[in-house]
Amino acid sequence: MDSKDKALIRVLHKEEIFKDPSPFKKAAELLGWDVEEVLARAKDLKNSGVIRRFGAALTPAKAGFTANAMVAWEVEKEREEEAADSMAAHPRVSHCYIRPAFDGFPYKLYTMIHGNSLEDLNRIIDELSKVSRAASFRALHSTREFKKSSPVYFP
Amino acid sequence: MSVIFAEKGSELDSIDKAILNRIQGDFPVSEDPYGEIGRAVGITGPDAHARVLSLIERKIVRKVGPFFDAKMMGYKSTLCAVDVPADKLKETASVINGFVEVTHNYLREGRPNVWFTVIAESDDAIRNILSEISSRAGVGPIRNLPAEKMYKVKVDLKIKD
Repeated sequence: MDSKDKALIRVLHKEEIFKDPSPFKKAAELLGWDVEEVLARAKDLKNSGVIRRFGAALTPAKAGFTANAMVAWEVEKEREEEAADSMAAHPRVSHCYIRPAFDGFPYKLYTMIHGNSLEDLNRIIDELSKVSRAASFRALHSTREFKKSSPVYFP
Repeated sequence: MSVIFAEKGSELDSIDKAILNRIQGDFPVSEDPYGEIGRAVGITGPDAHARVLSLIERKIVRKVGPFFDAKMMGYKSTLCAVDVPADKLKETASVINGFVEVTHNYLREGRPNVWFTVIAESDDAIRNILSEISSRAGVGPIRNLPAEKMYKVKVDLKIKD
């Protein structure tokens, strides 16, 4: 990635750009480049994986997911991989990571789970609990959102 | 992930759904993306553009554009947890939120009760932010829990007709 890629990332990261009728032409105009160069570099960034995708993200609640929780699971060391794979394969699990344990918190397998009701969410948690044979878990329901924002890259 | 919109209060017609399914995972990278989207769903480019704007305005769509891989750009990310007494929550939240590197911050049930994510240029930068939060808000220890292994990060939601 060179300085032109970083400049392009800064411009494409602006949320307003894709509201323009011609987003890539608008980016070219802001950068003072030809649109061909914008498109070529954008495609390169996508091919190299710096941009995972161009697309649209839905608001989970508006998409019918009104009950969402971060659930952390305690799984035996030897079964960690297998349990993580089985959870990651579940269509209602959007994120799945292994993180370090800490004092009083042996739950290393972290998942984000999306349900269309609290009952649905609890049913999924129950299902995952059986599939993964987790020893125990903590459902960390959020009670307040203090902040939700996009990262700032190359300020 | 398949999404079933609630029968009642569903605000999407079949063209909106077709547009979302077309652009969710693959917004066209071309000179006239809205023209392409329109052609794919049988409407004009300006109509496709107007519908996408309306989906954003109605907050059905949170974001249109590129989704970056922070790690590929050399950034480090982590999840942090800290237990904060009720009378210090407000102050602590405002100290944590003050860092642009903090992207999400939630109060959650149980102990620890405050969970936030940090994306910064290096592990050192993250450590500095955490020690500043700790000293400025007078809370701690802050547990720094970077992923040891990532099994899934998926933001696509498939929409059923």
